[in-house]
Amino acid sequence: MTSLALSRESIARVRPGPAAVAALIALFLLLFLVVPVVQVIFVAFQDKTTGAFTLVNFADFFRNDLFMRSFWNSFYVSAMSVVVASALALPLAYLTTRFEFRGAVLIQSLGVIPLIMPPFIGAVAMQLLFGRNGTVNLLLRDHFGFSIPFMEGLNGVIFVQSIHYFPFILINLSASLKNIDRAMEESAQNLGCHGFRLFRRIVFPLAMPGYVAGASLVFIKVFDDLGTPLLLNVSDMLAPQAYLRISSIGIADPMGYVISVVLIVCSLLALWVSALAMRGKDYATVQRGGGGLARRRMKPLELVAAYTVVLLILMLVLAPHIGLSLLSFATIWSFSPFPDAFTMKHYHTVFVESGQYITNTLLYASLAAALDVVIGTAIAYLVLRTKLPGRQWLDYAAMAALAVPGVVLGIGYLRSFYGIPMPFSGQPLSSFWLILVFALAIRRLPYALRACTAALQQVSSSLEEAAENLAATKLRTLGRIVVPLMSGGILAGFVTSFATAAVELSATIMLVQSQSDAPLAYGLYVYMQSAAGRGPGAALGVFAVVIVGLGTYLSHVIIERGRRERGQER
Amino acid sequence: MSRTLRSVAAALAFVLASGTAAFAQDPSGKLVIVTSFPKDLTSAFQQAFQKAHPKVTVEILNRNTNAGVKFLQETASNNGTDLFWASAPDAFEVLKGANLLQAYKPKVEGIPEKVGAYPVNDPQGMYAGFAASGYGIMWNTRYMKANNLPAPKEWADLTKAIYYDHVAISAPSRSGTTHLTIETILQGEGWEKGWRTNKELAGNYRTITERSFGVPDGVNSGSFGVGIVIDFFALSSQASGFPVEFTYPTVTTIVPANIGVVKNAPNKLAAETFVDFILSPAGQEVLLQPAIRRLPVNPATYEKAPAGYPNPFKDTSLGAQVNFDVEVSQARYNVVDALFDQLITFQLDDLKAATRAIHQAEAAIAKKPNDKARSLVAEARDLVAAMPVTAEQAADPQLAGAFTVERKSATDAVPERQAQVEQKWAAFAKENYAAARKKAEEALALAR
Amino acid sequence: MNHQFSPTALGADLQSVGVRIDGVNLFYGSNHVLKDVNLDIRPGEFFAFLGPSGCGKTTLLRLIAGFNTAQRGLVRIGDRDISALPPHKRDVGMVFQSYALWPHMTVRRNVAFGLEERRIPRAEVERRVDAALDLVGLKHLADRRPSQLSGGQQQRVALARTVVIEPKVLLLDEPLSNLDAKLRVQMRQELLSLQRKLGLTTIFVTHDQEEANTICDRIAVMDDGRVQQVGSPQELYDHPANLFVAGFLGTANVLDGEVRGDGTGTAFVGKGFTPVPLPRTVEAGSVGKLMFRPQNLTIRQDDGEPRPGCARLTGRITHREFLGASIRYAVDIGGQQVQVDAPHQAGDPLLAPDSPITLDLAADKARFLRR
Repeated sequence: MTSLALSRESIARVRPGPAAVAALIALFLLLFLVVPVVQVIFVAFQDKTTGAFTLVNFADFFRNDLFMRSFWNSFYVSAMSVVVASALALPLAYLTTRFEFRGAVLIQSLGVIPLIMPPFIGAVAMQLLFGRNGTVNLLLRDHFGFSIPFMEGLNGVIFVQSIHYFPFILINLSASLKNIDRAMEESAQNLGCHGFRLFRRIVFPLAMPGYVAGASLVFIKVFDDLGTPLLLNVSDMLAPQAYLRISSIGIADPMGYVISVVLIVCSLLALWVSALAMRGKDYATVQRGGGGLARRRMKPLELVAAYTVVLLILMLVLAPHIGLSLLSFATIWSFSPFPDAFTMKHYHTVFVESGQYITNTLLYASLAAALDVVIGTAIAYLVLRTKLPGRQWLDYAAMAALAVPGVVLGIGYLRSFYGIPMPFSGQPLSSFWLILVFALAIRRLPYALRACTAALQQVSSSLEEAAENLAATKLRTLGRIVVPLMSGGILAGFVTSFATAAVELSATIMLVQSQSDAPLAYGLYVYMQSAAGRGPGAALGVFAVVIVGLGTYLSHVIIERGRRERGQER
Repeated sequence: MSRTLRSVAAALAFVLASGTAAFAQDPSGKLVIVTSFPKDLTSAFQQAFQKAHPKVTVEILNRNTNAGVKFLQETASNNGTDLFWASAPDAFEVLKGANLLQAYKPKVEGIPEKVGAYPVNDPQGMYAGFAASGYGIMWNTRYMKANNLPAPKEWADLTKAIYYDHVAISAPSRSGTTHLTIETILQGEGWEKGWRTNKELAGNYRTITERSFGVPDGVNSGSFGVGIVIDFFALSSQASGFPVEFTYPTVTTIVPANIGVVKNAPNKLAAETFVDFILSPAGQEVLLQPAIRRLPVNPATYEKAPAGYPNPFKDTSLGAQVNFDVEVSQARYNVVDALFDQLITFQLDDLKAATRAIHQAEAAIAKKPNDKARSLVAEARDLVAAMPVTAEQAADPQLAGAFTVERKSATDAVPERQAQVEQKWAAFAKENYAAARKKAEEALALAR
Repeated sequence: MNHQFSPTALGADLQSVGVRIDGVNLFYGSNHVLKDVNLDIRPGEFFAFLGPSGCGKTTLLRLIAGFNTAQRGLVRIGDRDISALPPHKRDVGMVFQSYALWPHMTVRRNVAFGLEERRIPRAEVERRVDAALDLVGLKHLADRRPSQLSGGQQQRVALARTVVIEPKVLLLDEPLSNLDAKLRVQMRQELLSLQRKLGLTTIFVTHDQEEANTICDRIAVMDDGRVQQVGSPQELYDHPANLFVAGFLGTANVLDGEVRGDGTGTAFVGKGFTPVPLPRTVEAGSVGKLMFRPQNLTIRQDDGEPRPGCARLTGRITHREFLGASIRYAVDIGGQQVQVDAPHQAGDPLLAPDSPITLDLAADKARFLRR
């Protein structure tokens, strides 16, 4: 009798619902992340000639000057990118969430746009504007006789990357700021604190979950990014080194895979450190429908200063897109501050040729982003709200996707899925466009997961308990209470997933098997391989940015309206 | 022969003839081509081919060369690609070695054995050349004007101090055609002197790009002034209106761009028809289009070319200077790539610093001649030019084995690991460049 | 846990000032939230804003703190017009309903915050923080985080944090509503004791009239953005200005009827009761109701005449409530409901529902209220 009671108790601890969900997610991650990656990476642990297990390749890594130099360069660039990105994001986040600011929603949406920078073309545009012989420096040299090395070596990488990824901090920090109880700030004001001190002592520490989430994402993303350094011809960083070695043909070099492992380990370390920093800071606030940071009015002089700062920052972070637009209308732009002349020809070309790319992209990116927020919310909930054993590993596994270079994932997918024929058509599984969606989803899942986790951290569990007390099932509580309260974070996750998936290339290019299935980034890549294709490529890039930007803005507006109706906005 | 036999023979012959005619069918269905060529080229051929063979739909999959090879390697078990179409012969060698191509002898007549000094087709027939290109020097006229630089003519010109920090090239490990250019210099001048030249050139590089298009792209936009590029990049840039010029130096290689039928191609007939098409006179003419501008391998096509179009069959200076030995090139292929990367690409900053010091010292000596300084500078140059391995060592299969996987038999000695070798070379270069720089600075101090 | 507030530990002399609110009108968009509010709060007074949800009491409190701006009117503290001052310059201490303790700081740092903002030297800060924590009896918890404290302890920390900066005025926004009943009673006594010892002008917002009655010197009753009446608890209870105030403070019986002249003066007449004489100030034909308290009614078990100065009400008991010290009967008088309280001793019989009942109403205790 007693033994029955005991086992019933231990079964009760593992509730069936969450366990099933966890198992499903684990299966998904296993199939579409772990297996493909392991297939590729185990080469790093193999002795090249005998095939036996060995760590000698790692020893070689640490003894090699070039690799160690690359390691420190990557570290330096990532850290500096976080610093610069913070400097760009903080004023924008603070001013738009904290004050009565006309166009706050527009600015928030514009602030996402740097993320939507198709590969190749972002760096090309920045070179055109800020390069040694770019617009700014040509003008500076002509008029003042000096030039600023924006784009030289590592500086160029830092510059481009911080602009490209600063939205991570902006979005997450803004969501965090919006969720701080108004009384926290008012009580500080009441005690005599105001202005920057108020921000530094009270507001910012309470917004830390959002900031840390964003900053750690920026660090990891810059650390692992290969497109920008490669295009700027900076090859002594870890990610480009890995790519160059894995993708060179005719030789079997394990070092590329060794570097991939190092990348993954470092990224995981960075995440662990940030998790440590946030431990014990339980900042859940009880929303009583009227919480959220009070919006203050600014005096006219303050307004002018604020708008100036915002405008300057926006101009800087939208510089790549400005360059892109100029390029899309340009006839010839060569060694001069501005193009020689302008034309609509490129848009005509793109319009005629690339409609399919655009629809494909919208479909893939939306599906991938939707998948991401669903899985992200599920994992966040399992980790923060249940006591399922081993749930932390779901989080780690999902985040590990960040550290996997796109090319590794692409090759892994090919290896894992090519041999499996699909039912009915006999085509290999890897050519099915849904696999492409999964690749996009897996690579973006970390962003969504971080956003959902931060959002859930700010929702007190008492709110759910209240609902359950009123006889709502777990599922209904999730749908009616938890998810709506998380909507800000979920939206942030969806937006970043969607925006970055829409322009992803490195995994895509390995997996695309037919033009009709190809997304936009692929079309752009094809254009950028020839001199005559710059214009159309830029035009296609502008299309991408506009479409994704519009989608982002619309979803923002819709969700803001929902929040306002629920009294979460003032 | 008896009458009956003769008529039977005639009937048989007729049947056979009509049978063969029946076998020479029209191709149809989908034709999948993995290619690294840009859209300008592929669309032109795609349209022309589809017009000639309306039942075929051509599907172009654009990948850079390396990704394309990897793709074929990964999908070999259930191959869906019909043709591989790219510039670099080395990619085809890799595919050939991995048994991923199938032999096909094009039915087109009139294609010569060699173009310049380089064979047009693979001797085993695994791939065929359809267009030729040569390496040369491209520059941006506006940039040159703004920086007061004269138009270069020969490789040697680019080693001069005046071009310091204005030149770019793509890494030979990333661009098969650049590799061939480097190899041409090595074969033309000899191992020691060739590397010296390569390093003197490298000392003037602003940057070394990862993809070959990075160089003409940079020249087009004026990021740097001079680029070492393949001719059609420069010519098509000109056709697009960019303010650029191009010249072939005397020592250059003309290299064919190739096409090969993939093993187990789903649509073999269409694949072979396509190969024949691009070698046919109609196909070869497509190469003359301004956006494409490549050199046809069919000498007859040049009659249709505009005036001044380079003709490697008439103009003997083009690519015939060097007697290119393909075997030698193959044997040391990976070693040359690794040497270039470890000694130049990844040490570019140090190399440039040493070169700059040398240039400054030489400029000072020109004003104030000083024998001691001059000998110091010579030593510095020697240090820069020094190589960690000789030509024989470079060709040694042991060394080459470090970069590849196969061990032919258990009794073969295990070669050093690639990473070890690279580290050795990198350390070698670093040391030498630092020492060279010191010497040059000493020389400068003396000459002041 | 009981303890004594010891103001000497604070070691400072707190000056008390009055607060004046003149002609304040406040709009949120087109919503007229505060309508012509005039208040004069005396120095050292323990003053309450009392009213139902949405009456504007919190808005008014926040106006004084500086978190709202009135479109018309002034707020003065002492003699100083502070209407244009931002919140951080007003020197009024506010304790928020949620306490608003900062979770990322310890108790000590929370309390020290205001002093640090005033650039007080470190040694002085620590001394005063210790004194304030001593005052509220939480010195032993100084290094804990707010999340580790109970509700009552959090509230004390919030108080200490506010008091330590020696504000001129103390504002309390429903400070007791998050506490359990027993703690609430205890805390309000402690609040009162603290206020008396510090002599701070204190404004206390609440919707609970028992709280307001037990500790405040004067109360402003508010409804719909307007101050209905200002006075001491007794004044408000005994002489409510209108039906709202009457009903809000304590139970009120309200009867409909007419005012008629009867030769000598006016009386209130209606169904189920004899005419109730009214003071001369009420003219015949006035529109209004009669208000009286349950304890103004006496139950007549006998059939005798109404007592002198009393009107007689006859009706039927509808139900009764046992309140321990008294029994409350709901009675139907001519179709209207009235409540009467009867003191209860053990052994007394209870009257049954549905039985007839006769009541005497002391006419001088009844009030005629026009609205």
